[in-house]
Amino acid sequence: MRRVAVIGVGVTKFGRHERTSAELFAEAAADALADAEMPASRVQALYYGNVVGGETEKQLHTGPQAASVLGIPTVPTTRFETACASSHAAFRHAVMEVASGASDVVLVGGAERVLNVPTADSTEYFAYASDASWEQTLGLTFPGVFALVARAHMHKHGTTEEQMAAVAVKNHRHGVLNPKAQFRKEITLETVLSSPKVADPLKLYDCCPFSDGGAALVLASEDVARTARRPIWVLASAAASDWMLLGDKRDLSRVPATERAAAAAYRQAGIGPQDVDVVELHDCFTIAEIVATEGLGLFEPGAGGIAAEKGWTSLGGKIPVNPSGGLKAKGHPIGATGAAQICEVVTQLRGEAGARQVEGARRGLTHTLGGNTATVLVSLFGRD
Amino acid sequence: MTESTVTLGRFFAAAREGRLTAIRCGGCGALAVPPKELCPECGARRWEPVPLSGEGTIASFTVIRVAPRGHADEAPYAIAAVRLREGVSLLGRVVDVPLDSLAIGMPVRFRPIVVKDRPAIGFGPRQP
Repeated sequence: MRRVAVIGVGVTKFGRHERTSAELFAEAAADALADAEMPASRVQALYYGNVVGGETEKQLHTGPQAASVLGIPTVPTTRFETACASSHAAFRHAVMEVASGASDVVLVGGAERVLNVPTADSTEYFAYASDASWEQTLGLTFPGVFALVARAHMHKHGTTEEQMAAVAVKNHRHGVLNPKAQFRKEITLETVLSSPKVADPLKLYDCCPFSDGGAALVLASEDVARTARRPIWVLASAAASDWMLLGDKRDLSRVPATERAAAAAYRQAGIGPQDVDVVELHDCFTIAEIVATEGLGLFEPGAGGIAAEKGWTSLGGKIPVNPSGGLKAKGHPIGATGAAQICEVVTQLRGEAGARQVEGARRGLTHTLGGNTATVLVSLFGRD
Repeated sequence: MTESTVTLGRFFAAAREGRLTAIRCGGCGALAVPPKELCPECGARRWEPVPLSGEGTIASFTVIRVAPRGHADEAPYAIAAVRLREGVSLLGRVVDVPLDSLAIGMPVRFRPIVVKDRPAIGFGPRQP
């Protein structure tokens, strides 16, 4: 297999947009191609993530639509749907296309538009990623899924609501430093703890927002990447799945798919969690960041809450997590999130992250979770 | 090939009548929640239906206060993951239990419920 690099990145501002998801993707993709100094004519495939286009935009076949709006209508295009991990799944398959020798230059990205519909509707559409017969019938929501995880984690490890709130405070603090973030204001523990309950014990400020946005990146084979200005190498990209039904998961305080995907990624790259300098992980809810830091091996099981409370995951801490502001403050346009996380880590490893730069970062990790913890992708990146 | 021993439709038809049914693998004895075609433990394709007691304890729970469009008029409502005595777990609505008295480890018993005209899993209180 050939080495693969990311040679260009592009991300729209996250938040509310009066444009279609295809337009948002196209802006990000054109920025990524410009960043890579790569003409669109050299793109040999597009791997695209989009989740609820069928519901919020009454639009299927969003892959070719996105390619057409970008202006590369004849490029083979495939849309991936693995709930909130869609564009990270797209990325992994694109890496394999380049690594195999099938293509030299491939575009990866994703976009989502949800703020054009009321919250009760988007809550319902997101719930479609849980089981229709067993879970949607109960009125289970995604905050509800992670509330079940939170209760189990609190019961098993003594994790507190204050520790969860510390994740939100930290990610909002980071978001202030990111011009593309949806929320750019600091909050306090009290802001989180006094916010309205959404699904006990999770409150409004434990939850990431609904967001519109797009993200894209250009992948290249080693030969092409050697001519690029700032290639960042893909050291590993791994996926894991788990039982769909929450009832079938033995221990709700853990996300086994994160543990398996991380183990596979570390094995591929020949490194361990201690070798990682910067992490962008899936903090759709504050508890999700705590559980992910444990599953990725950054902290022992049960220590994720303590790490958040002590500031070990802050910029300047032991291992900075979500310097972009994460899903919590940067925003979570679900089809774009996986690609956007990769764009952030590439920017960090290039040393171009400005006020939120993790000094001297050489290796980075991205982690994206889909649905009711049934899909996880983990990728590792390194600079020369 | 033969149809699975317990289809989703049959499971919920029986659940509506108050009976919970699991499936046991004829190859290795693993117990599972239907429907499954192959045993995730041994790969066999031989299932037998087995009745479940419906008795279990709450493994985790939440109270949904911001509901999806289709359930907005029902909020707040409690959902729990319940570990059944036989070892399998099911998600269900918890009914007839004050929301502020819910706790991990609380004993509950299966109760058939209908939510928006669809059969669903419910759990009510049980003396330990």
